[in-house]
Amino acid sequence: MSPRNIFVGIVLALALAAGLVLATRLSAPAEPKTALVMPARNALPEFELLDPLRNTVNRETFLDQWSLLFFGFTHCPDICPLTLQTLAAAQRELAAAGQQPLPRIVLVSVDPERDTPQLIGQYVAHFGDGNLGVTGSLDELKKLTSALGIYFQKQPGDGESYAVDHSAAVLLVNPNGEFHALFSGPHVAADYVHDLPIIMENY
Amino acid sequence: MRTGLILLLVLVGACGADTRPALVASDVTITQPMPGMAMSAGYLTLTNNSAETITITRVNSPQYASVELHESVVDDGVARMRRLEKIEIPAGKNTVLAPGGKHLMLMRPTDVAADAVSLQFYDGAKLLLTVTSSKPQDSR
Repeated sequence: MSPRNIFVGIVLALALAAGLVLATRLSAPAEPKTALVMPARNALPEFELLDPLRNTVNRETFLDQWSLLFFGFTHCPDICPLTLQTLAAAQRELAAAGQQPLPRIVLVSVDPERDTPQLIGQYVAHFGDGNLGVTGSLDELKKLTSALGIYFQKQPGDGESYAVDHSAAVLLVNPNGEFHALFSGPHVAADYVHDLPIIMENY
Repeated sequence: MRTGLILLLVLVGACGADTRPALVASDVTITQPMPGMAMSAGYLTLTNNSAETITITRVNSPQYASVELHESVVDDGVARMRRLEKIEIPAGKNTVLAPGGKHLMLMRPTDVAADAVSLQFYDGAKLLLTVTSSKPQDSR
């Protein structure tokens, strides 16, 4: 093989490599697939709820970290654990990939009649450290939910045996305490693993 | 020994076209109660091998004070849990009880140390099937 042919070969190989790098960059995921990033970022409203140690939870509680906010209740053996499992699985996968920052999970109980702050705290702690369980009076809960477009309604039942209908959405709150993005569901861990780093990177 | 085996096979063959039980349960999973909670979910696949629709109106378990038939649905973005009066398994088909859909809600365990959970499926007063599942699964 002549030196000239070797030179042409090297040039072609470099061009091919550059093309491959460019193609990968161009097709790199840069847009969230599932989440709706809010065009206007509204601050969380004024509200006052309680954490498991009965400390006040308000808008300031959400400053300086990302939170995945979900509304549910503990007397719910199916959908609520399923959603929390999905969020916890996404959290673990992102942590394993070295993602920083990592959003915490915040479960707000919309069933304050049965869910004490301590109970909701135990429940959320089951899905990993650093997550937060919150509840409070119906009036304070409604201040938060109505500002975020979250619906909940206790259903008729016998005594302690009743269900609470609630919005199935998961809301991403940014470190400025603003409603940043919406995952309306169905919730799939891979969607969170894909979208969260992109959304947080573009913040 | 060989003769015995052949005889057995002939006998099985002689029993007719379909000797399978009418109702079969598979993939039975009972979730472990969440911390502080006294309820679990039960998931399974029910297969109807008969030519008639099978209806389940009631489920009992010696390990739980109460078992209800439930369905989770999400409509218009709202998650709802509803009690079902019955679960039907059409002839020759499966009905799947799975997370996020139809499921059993098992309440107030009577034996928290139980290694297995027994479920009895009824149509009215008629016992259709008894299933035993292994130890409850942690939902995490």
